[in-house]
Amino acid sequence: MHSNVDDKAGESAFAFEGTWREFAPIAFTNLLLTIVTLGIYRFWATARERRYLWSRSRFVDENLEWAGTGKELFLGFVMVMLLFLLPYFALTFVAQALIARGQEALGLALVSGALLLIFYLGGVARFRALRYRLSRTHWRGIRGGSDDQGLAFGVTYMWKTVVGMLPAGLLIPWSMTSLWNERWSKMSFGPFAFASNADPGEVFARFLLFYLAPFILFGIGIVAAVSGAATGFTGQPSDTGATTMVIGVIGAIAFFYLGLGLIAVAFYAKFYRVAIGALRWRNLEFSFNASTMDWVRLLLVDVMLVVFTLGIGAIFLSYRHWKFFITHLEAHGEILLDELTQSTTTIAAHGEGLLDAFDVGAF
Amino acid sequence: MDGGFAVAASWYDGGNALRHEGTARWDGREGFVLDSGTSRIEVPLAELRFSETRGATRIYHRAGEDGFRLILPRDVPAGLAGRLPASGEYGAWIDRLGLGRAGAIFAVVSAAAVALFVTAPDWLGPRIPESWERRIGEAMVGDLGGRLCHTPAGDAALDKLLAKVDPGQTRVRAGVANIGLINAVALPGGQVLLFDGIVRQAQSPEELAGVLGHEVGHVRERHVMTALLRQFGLSVLLAGANSGIGDTAAGIASMGYSREAEREADAFARARMATSRISPAATADFFERMAGESGESESDSALIGWLASHPAALERARAFRAAGKKGAAYLPVLNASEFAALKSMCADDPEVETFDLF
Repeated sequence: MHSNVDDKAGESAFAFEGTWREFAPIAFTNLLLTIVTLGIYRFWATARERRYLWSRSRFVDENLEWAGTGKELFLGFVMVMLLFLLPYFALTFVAQALIARGQEALGLALVSGALLLIFYLGGVARFRALRYRLSRTHWRGIRGGSDDQGLAFGVTYMWKTVVGMLPAGLLIPWSMTSLWNERWSKMSFGPFAFASNADPGEVFARFLLFYLAPFILFGIGIVAAVSGAATGFTGQPSDTGATTMVIGVIGAIAFFYLGLGLIAVAFYAKFYRVAIGALRWRNLEFSFNASTMDWVRLLLVDVMLVVFTLGIGAIFLSYRHWKFFITHLEAHGEILLDELTQSTTTIAAHGEGLLDAFDVGAF
Repeated sequence: MDGGFAVAASWYDGGNALRHEGTARWDGREGFVLDSGTSRIEVPLAELRFSETRGATRIYHRAGEDGFRLILPRDVPAGLAGRLPASGEYGAWIDRLGLGRAGAIFAVVSAAAVALFVTAPDWLGPRIPESWERRIGEAMVGDLGGRLCHTPAGDAALDKLLAKVDPGQTRVRAGVANIGLINAVALPGGQVLLFDGIVRQAQSPEELAGVLGHEVGHVRERHVMTALLRQFGLSVLLAGANSGIGDTAAGIASMGYSREAEREADAFARARMATSRISPAATADFFERMAGESGESESDSALIGWLASHPAALERARAFRAAGKKGAAYLPVLNASEFAALKSMCADDPEVETFDLF
């Protein structure tokens, strides 16, 4: 028995069937309960939200299912607190005391050791968050996961991130794609592993925009300075000179934030198209078709939604982002349902606590 | 009728991704028989766990079976509905209590917890044994050693001054720190520091007795522990923003006490000075000078430290002025050579190190 993912011409294999009206009661009750529990309900709120979002996400002919619970997210958080944050606080306390006693070298060594540990655990956390999400995502009763603990990935994450930044940051596209490839190739769904061969060359041109921006800014600055000087030479410090200056400064600031922000969006839009486009699983190929304009629109509406509701609209952001992700995600190929057997990977008994602690997303 | 009935059902067995469509036949007692012609599974009702409601269906898991999913219509005959696990929405506790009641209970408990947390420094601080505070102070600040100024004559003068304003059996430790700022601090662990700057500008030993008495008051009234707990609570709340505890030791120097605590420390100083027959007028003079300095637009920035953490200098000056009694026989707290030794203590100590903690 098999299911052809390209069955219906023109229709994506992934579809989102939720509505914000259905999501609103979940979001508002979550907000209420999170407030009255001083934030502790957050873990159960996340689980409820995901259960809804996954259940309204259809892949071919069956909806996804989120099997994760609030309790395991909570336990993950508690674990991170006990195993990591408390020792970290103790360490910085000891380091501070050492420095106060004049043992600066030892104190600084302890502090940098702690920072190095955070760096390492950040990598492990990224890996385990993806593993956790796959292991709790069911489709037709089958789930994903990984047999890897992510401990080795933490080491690769450290050195590739450092090497990526060394030559003036020029190897960042390489470190990003290669870490993406490594992380996904250790993941599986059912009995089959994912594979990814994203090519850093494809995102490199976009990345160079970051380097071009300062030159453009510099050029604009020269033009402004020259025209400002020209008005100055007439001997009368007129209003136009000051106006040019003000416009120049405002323009530079606007360019810096909006321009660099826009470049970042353009880069990430390209990155996700390339990275997800390089992802394969058995006979399936994935693609992600969100353009830079799609991202800009998503982010602009996000900002308006939050600003015009005085912040309350923020509870709909997870809905909007998930919907954006699913509607732009596509898959092509073929799935043999009877060879798609249950994953044999182990299920971690706790949630993505480590990642929560570092506040980074899974993708 | 109680002999059971069948409802349409579909399921995944968790072994592979094939969907089975058929009937779930209830035997009227403890279990289901799922039958699709190609697949036949018996499932005890007790092993079913509610998962979610999706459209007109309800989805159930089976305990201990990874991936088993039973999809039943939302409307099943009442006899069966009562035996199926109840559907949940918010999480077990809240489902049992109901959203409104659970929300109200959580709100009350949370408000109580917040109240307890916010007031904890005030009622917990004074109850923490002084020996604990001393140990915490040792761990945080340690022995300031070479950074305090020492000369035999200066130490003797400081001891004499301290004896007049500190009634405790175990004496508060006082020192003159090699810092030019006009300031004084009470550190955790019953350690009081006069900065060299405040000692040098002093016009009389009585004025230093007032300042020292004030800081000793912070220690004796347990303000230090209270502030330490408040700082610690804040750093716990802000955890993640930075390494809160690490900053605490340095933060102690700039740590603000409440106005009420400042008044208490002042009152302590006045009471001690009255007992030791030290005139409070000089301390009032000091506050007036400070108030005057801060009134000027271009005041020495070194003054800001003392003033920022000790607001309303004029009000305090009035309180010290009022404490003075006409015709009272006040005794000089230090003689001229003792006072001079104290003032030149840092300049005369060749081994003192520069102080960079604050």
